[in-house]
Amino acid sequence: MTRPWYPKKSLIKDTSCTPEEIKEIVACSTYIDSFIEAESVRSGVPKEQLMKQVREHLEEMGMDKKMHVIRWMGIVFLKISFMMRIGIFVNETAILKLKEQMGKNPIVFLPTHRSYADFCVLTYICYHYDIELPAVAAGMDFYSMAVVGQRMRETGAFFIRRTIVGAPLYAATLKQYVRTLVAKYHAPLEFFIEGTRSRSNKSLPPKYGMLSMSLMAYFAGEVSDITIVPVNFSYDRIMEQILFAYEHIGVPKPKESTGGLLKALRSLNDHFGNIYVNFGTQISLKEYLKNTNLVTNETLKPTSLQQLTPEQLSQVRDIADEVVVLQQNSAVAIITNLLAFVLMDSLMKCKALHYEELLLEVQWMMEVLRGLGASVYEKDIENSLDRILVVHHKTVALDRERRLRLLTGDLMEVSSEVSAKMKGHILKAETMMTAVPVIQLQIYINPMLHYIMSPALVYVLVKRGSTNTDKLANDYYRLRKLLKHEFFYIERTEKYILNKAIDYCKQHHVVINDEGTLRVGDANRMQFLLEWALLPFLTTLMLCLDVIIQMRRCEHKQVLKLVQERAEREGRHPYCLSLESSANCLQGLLATGAILKLKNGSDSIYEVVPAAMEKCRQLVSSVLPEINTVWGRNNPVFERRAPLTSRL
Amino acid sequence: MPKDTELVNKNINIATKSDTMNSLIDKNNTKSVSDSETIIKVKSVIPRKRQELLKWYGWGYKDSMFKLEDGHATFTGNRYLIGGKTLPHCLQWVNENFNVDVNKTPKIPQLPDSYTKSRLPDNVRQELEKIALVSVDGLDRLIRAHGQTLKDISLLRSNSFKRIPDAVIWPESHEQVVQIVQCASRLRFVIIPFGGGTSVSGAITCPADEPRPIVVLDTSDMNSILWMDKEQLLARVQAGIVGQDLEREMRARGFTVGHEPDSYEFSTLGGWVATRASGMKKNTYGNIEELVVQTKVVTPTGVIEKSCRVPRISCGPDWEHVVMGSEGCLGVVTEVTLKIRPLPAVVRYGSLVFPDWESGFKFEREVARQRLQPSSIRLMDNEQFRFGHAVKAESSWGGVILDGLKKFYITCIKGFDPHKLCVVTLLMEGNSDQVSDREKKLNAIAALFGGIPGGAKNGEVGYTLTFVIAYIRDLALEYDIVAESFETSVPWDRALALCDNTKRRVRHECARRHIHRFLISCRLTQTYDAGCCIYFYFGFNSAGCADAVATYEEIEDAARDEILASGGSISHHHGVGKLRKKWYEQTVSSPGRRLLLAAKQALDPDNIFALGNMAFDEYTPEHVVNSKL
Repeated sequence: MTRPWYPKKSLIKDTSCTPEEIKEIVACSTYIDSFIEAESVRSGVPKEQLMKQVREHLEEMGMDKKMHVIRWMGIVFLKISFMMRIGIFVNETAILKLKEQMGKNPIVFLPTHRSYADFCVLTYICYHYDIELPAVAAGMDFYSMAVVGQRMRETGAFFIRRTIVGAPLYAATLKQYVRTLVAKYHAPLEFFIEGTRSRSNKSLPPKYGMLSMSLMAYFAGEVSDITIVPVNFSYDRIMEQILFAYEHIGVPKPKESTGGLLKALRSLNDHFGNIYVNFGTQISLKEYLKNTNLVTNETLKPTSLQQLTPEQLSQVRDIADEVVVLQQNSAVAIITNLLAFVLMDSLMKCKALHYEELLLEVQWMMEVLRGLGASVYEKDIENSLDRILVVHHKTVALDRERRLRLLTGDLMEVSSEVSAKMKGHILKAETMMTAVPVIQLQIYINPMLHYIMSPALVYVLVKRGSTNTDKLANDYYRLRKLLKHEFFYIERTEKYILNKAIDYCKQHHVVINDEGTLRVGDANRMQFLLEWALLPFLTTLMLCLDVIIQMRRCEHKQVLKLVQERAEREGRHPYCLSLESSANCLQGLLATGAILKLKNGSDSIYEVVPAAMEKCRQLVSSVLPEINTVWGRNNPVFERRAPLTSRL
Repeated sequence: MPKDTELVNKNINIATKSDTMNSLIDKNNTKSVSDSETIIKVKSVIPRKRQELLKWYGWGYKDSMFKLEDGHATFTGNRYLIGGKTLPHCLQWVNENFNVDVNKTPKIPQLPDSYTKSRLPDNVRQELEKIALVSVDGLDRLIRAHGQTLKDISLLRSNSFKRIPDAVIWPESHEQVVQIVQCASRLRFVIIPFGGGTSVSGAITCPADEPRPIVVLDTSDMNSILWMDKEQLLARVQAGIVGQDLEREMRARGFTVGHEPDSYEFSTLGGWVATRASGMKKNTYGNIEELVVQTKVVTPTGVIEKSCRVPRISCGPDWEHVVMGSEGCLGVVTEVTLKIRPLPAVVRYGSLVFPDWESGFKFEREVARQRLQPSSIRLMDNEQFRFGHAVKAESSWGGVILDGLKKFYITCIKGFDPHKLCVVTLLMEGNSDQVSDREKKLNAIAALFGGIPGGAKNGEVGYTLTFVIAYIRDLALEYDIVAESFETSVPWDRALALCDNTKRRVRHECARRHIHRFLISCRLTQTYDAGCCIYFYFGFNSAGCADAVATYEEIEDAARDEILASGGSISHHHGVGKLRKKWYEQTVSSPGRRLLLAAKQALDPDNIFALGNMAFDEYTPEHVVNSKL
């Protein structure tokens, strides 16, 4: 911690700017000046006042760099990591290679966002490998945290507001700030392309705003290239997992505060397992755009006024989509994922597994995922399994007969305070007791689902009746679109992915090709896995369809409530209680034109398009898996968590 | 599939609107929105109904004009230095030069009560209305049927135009102009671009025998400042902006364009480009071709614009210069990138008095040789000096004494002949050191040619006159005097002879026609390394003339012949238009004329912009020729 630290810069120029100078460049830019001139005419507010606001915004967002804070934060980070018994695994080859080529042009790190730990870990890795600490885009929630916000700023964080609607001057300042950081600052830029932490631990559709702002520096010819580095984080145990599970069913997240952080610190005295950081295939922006002409009408403007043309914007969107796929491809399957799959499988079968069976199942699961193209990190399964059972001791445990059980929470009444805050339907305590653990389990299945999704859809489509490739493809694309917001994909590669999935299914006897006709094969174990993997998502879709058909016209929030209510009543898969999941389904239905969205104030209202809706319903109900399982406490895999005995 | 993608993308946006990043994308989605972030909307002085502020039957503001009443002259309104003041010396001057009966009631025309019916077909009108605001109102069309030539005004006052436009359209953006021009190509109508309507070459006058409907494209709603870069001293401005609006907006922000043609209160940026305009202060800021960094022009075959914003380029002939000076015949200028300069700290007027024209002229030549020109330097001949005196406002008794002393000093002590002396007016800009230094140097050169300082006030009056002088013609017309100005450029060695020859020729032509009451006067308004610009004023009492306008035109034509014979040019900055087209080919050579027509073929093959200026009336579309063969 006291060693000399000469980090490698991402952009080496004759002179390098300090964070203060960056702010000054932004404030004095032609763009800000022009914006103020125009805004002053529009709104009548004096220019001096607008300029003052710009400077205030810059103070609010601008990052800083203080060496002593960086060192202290490094120590604190290590301390906490030891407390959490965390191990960090990094793809060292990739990071050293990246470091090797640094200095020529700006770098943008685009990590997945699964936990607040993400940026801490990445910043620490940079610190460890002597790479200039990245400028990280952080939410305003942190800004308002006493002490912490300022320390984050001093290690290179800058703060952005969650919403910029109705604040044009702020938007302009942010746009110029981000762009200037990329063009002029010597450190990598880091932000989360998904925009927010994914509560479900799988990729969210990318947001394009920050990426557009940061890539602008290249389109405006301010830099010769920009290197985009997708980063994937895999966690053995996400520290927010319980909060995420509650958020899924409608209990809002607590507000970030320093007090809260200190309180949370105590709960961190536990085993949190490993964090796996993998760097995806880099994109060189120049290489990616090599066939496009950078000279447009926009180049006639002053550099800082240059905007993306509509074509360039669509290129940026393509890149963003690509980045999400690259993040997914660099996801490593770890023991937690394997365990989650095996346990869910046993829940679906209503049969708790003995430790010995468990080992075999995990082994099988590992081979399956590997076969589907995932890179599996585990080697010594028994060891890892023992380790992970300690890490997840709050949610899973071996019972006296050494059978693996999912621990349910205590049966506690939902306090009136919490129920007042709940966004959706007020669930019964009975439901919550089993739903919350299952959702937590699903969270570790989710990041692997993009490998399974396509073969699974192929299987369920073949299962409903023999078909040929063309007919299959048609319905496959429709289902994919309905689930697009749940499982992100790129349109362009869909055909390739489908063919690969069909090949996979044929190879593994999931389906059989009988002279052009596809019918069901005999790989029962695999088929069951594929089916239950789809179960929660198709069920939610079905529930949404039923609710909307019944209501004909319904408010967004109301649909979500009714879906939850129905899912609870009918004893469906607990993941169907997820508000996020039903919202994603509604997006899918909108995209396929089965419903229309009408705006009514702040809330949107959906209206059924009967013909399209009927087609959707037929399709979904035809492929909906029928799995007889119980989600209540009478499922033998559940076990009531032993009440905490006093340690003394 | 792609349509679906679009839908999906759209929905993604709708889905997460509340999110930080996404609201930005929504902005970027529509180009116009993000562009509009930095657009400065300008409120123009001149309303869409021009006649509410401007005189429909003549020059300038409605409230500003010369009036002869109760035995003395006044200038109304309060827009100019002499506004609202009595002009005690004016009547005497009028009598001396023109001998008119000032007690006669002036001929002020009445607004016509009927107009030629619009020939615009309903379907075309509906198409156009989809693009922008359209009017077929008679008065709207009439006041956009003409420029400011003597003939235009005379036809206007008697409401006897053979042809007026059939509709007026007001686009607000480049994109709308593109749509209008595409529409014209499809539906076959003629477009006349209209800026400030101050043309003095007949350029925007409606071609009388055009069978197609004529739509005037009034650019005055395209007057936003798209961006302004104070660091690089550039501004991108829509071409319809009026000179005074542009200058006011720039000054409010501490800058100036510095382009001030005498018409700059009313003329537009696009008009300046289309005529190759020249401004009074070109010595500091440059003529329009030096001010413009980039132009964007909509032609029927596409938008022509350089793909880079550079200070200079070696890339074959500069096509921007084909558009510059094309007088509206090739397309519409929609956007211009202009140089701007910080406002000077000090602006000082000055004047120098010389015993005669020739010594004044030699002084000007010497200043140009040494490249010591201040922002503006002009030499007025004796007639103009006396005219300037005539429109001087009544001054206080102190002023009278001071003027008397000055006059005494100049005529008695220095011995200048009051009927020969000439005046140089100066406009100096810069910081105070630069201005004082320049003034000292100019005085020193003046002394070499017998010139003496004449005071700042005389200088300032001289420049006020610049804007007021245009109002004289309306007054004159009301009392049967026809008056007009014409200009030329000439090399230094031929300039003196040219002035002399031209004045003699005009006197001779007047004598031949038994015109005895007339005035011919000139001034040297711009100096260059290789020559200068000479501006002539000519007016006569037309009482007794059968067709005053025709007579005037005959005499001006003769004067132009004399100018060309003396080595002068067809025009320094007014342009060729329709008035001077007969000298076009001899000026540019026959291949030059063919090049002009080739440009037409390339940019406007169907002759949408059928204004017929320069040699463009000789253009026949190629496919027509082919079909004849």
